[in-house]
This record gives sequence, C-alpha cells and structure tokens, in this order.
Amino acid sequence: MRINHFIISILVVTLLFGCNTSSTKTEEQETTDTLAQAVTKSPDTTAATDTTQKNIAEPETELPKVSVYNFHVTNRCASCIAIEEATTKTLKTHFAAELRQGRIKQYILNVDDDANSKVAEKYQAFGSGLYVTRVFKGKETTTDLTGDGFKFAKNKEEKFIEILKNKITEYLK
Amino acid sequence: MKKPVIITFLLFLSIGVFSQKSTDTIIANNAQNLRLKVYYFHITNRCNTCFSIEKYVRQTIDNNFANQLELGIIDLYILNCELPENRDLVKKYDAYGATLALTSYVNGKEDKSEDLTGLAFKKVHEPDIFISELKLKIEEFLK
Repeated sequence: MRINHFIISILVVTLLFGCNTSSTKTEEQETTDTLAQAVTKSPDTTAATDTTQKNIAEPETELPKVSVYNFHVTNRCASCIAIEEATTKTLKTHFAAELRQGRIKQYILNVDDDANSKVAEKYQAFGSGLYVTRVFKGKETTTDLTGDGFKFAKNKEEKFIEILKNKITEYLK
Repeated sequence: MKKPVIITFLLFLSIGVFSQKSTDTIIANNAQNLRLKVYYFHITNRCNTCFSIEKYVRQTIDNNFANQLELGIIDLYILNCELPENRDLVKKYDAYGATLALTSYVNGKEDKSEDLTGLAFKKVHEPDIFISELKLKIEEFLK
C-alpha cells in the first residue's frame, strides 16, 4: 500500500516538473517571438502544459511572417490615401486571423518623419510606397507594389485588393 | 431667384469639365512613321509624384528623341484616365490611375507593350536613373 502511494507521489512530482519545464519554455518563446505569444494566448492552447500541444506550437514559430509597409509624405494625395485604405481593407477582410496572430503586420509610416528615416532608406521610399516583405528563417524577400497601388487603388480597388491578397497569400506559405 | 444660382453652378461645372480636357496632351505627327507610342495616364487630382513622372517622361523624350517625336516615329500621350473619352485606352492598359506604358508598332500594327509604372514610381526620386532607364527601354522598343 505504501509502495503504491510512493509510486503515485513520484508520478505526480514528475508530471508537475514536466509541466513546469514545458510552460517555462513557452514563456521563453514568448519573449523572443510575437507569433509564439499569439499562439500561447489563443483560447485553443489552454492545455499548454501538454507536450503534444507544445510540439504543435513549436513549428508555428517558424512560419513565414509578412510585413506590409505603407509609406507616405505629409501632404498626401488621393491615390496615396486610397492605397492605404485599400491595404487596410485587404488585411482586415482576408487576413484578420493572421493580423491577430502577429503573422502579418501593417506599418503606416510618414517618410517626412525623421523617426522613420532608416526604414524609409532601407526600402528606398522617398514618397508614397507600398512594400510587402516576407521574413522566413532570417531571410527577407520584398515586393514593391507601389506601381500597382497607384494604378488601381483609387479607381479599381477590387483589382488592387486581388493583387495584394495574392502576394500576401504567396508570402505566408 | 434660383436661376442665377443654377447658371453659376453650370458655369463652374463647364469650366471644370473643360479644364480637365485641356490637360490631355497628344503628340502624334505622322502615323506612317509610327514605331512607338508612349502613354502616361494620370487621375484628375494629381500629386507631385505624378507631375514629376510626366516631367521626366517629357525630358527623356525631349532630350533624347526630339527628332523621332517630330517625325512621328514616337507618339506621346499624356491622358487623364478619368475622362470618358479615354475609357477604351484605360481599359486596354489597365490604367485606372497613374500608369506609364509603351507600345511598339511594326508596319502600322501593334507589336509589343510594356507597363513601366513600377519603374516610374521606383525611380521618380532619382531623375537621372529614371531618364536613363526609360531612354534604354525606348531604344529597345525602337530596335
């Protein structure tokens, strides 16, 4: 009888330690990765202590991330405003979940603001610009959609949304 | 009492319509010599970037292809894409906003087209590069 109690106690202790180790690891991931943060905060991951759940969560930290940059000057024109509005609409309509998870981020930046000079220089954005960047395993790939933005966002919004949606979908894979 | 108001409104409306039309530029001197059409479409309310693109397109042609423009080898079209009379061209070139496009002609028939809008917006803040790249592209289309 005492042996049984002893064995049960060991199992309980082992399980507890196991749980602690696993949740600590998740927290470490949270500090370095906003995607991990989003995954662990989602309601479906309540069993975060479960090692199987942890194994599911880990590969997701390696999924590609997409950043969408809307650059503009201080005095904005109709096309520039239309590009931003259509971009926001595309993201909210087609990528709401990815936005919540942090897999997609939208940056609306004024290039005339000194605080944005570095990122503007990186993208060679001296005026209005739309850039979509994929980050995966430390590698960045960028597509310049400025031309399509000016061509379509104001008077052919559906076409612009289709182009942007296709590019983001491709970059999320 | 209402008549003067309506007349004034119509007057302003007509001024608006005519002033829109006056912005279109078409330089087409001799259809028999035609080898290339350069199109730049823009919307009614234009921004500085849009004006700059037109300026550099014109500079590219004026400084490098003035002779071809005069002979009708090159045609230049600066068009407002929001005017109804340009609807067919807008549809053809997908030019619903600022759009730069080239179309070459062989024996009076269309040969190939290229959309250079991306290049235009990418290089508009580096005029020298804009002009040299557009010049190269035009030379390629004239071969």
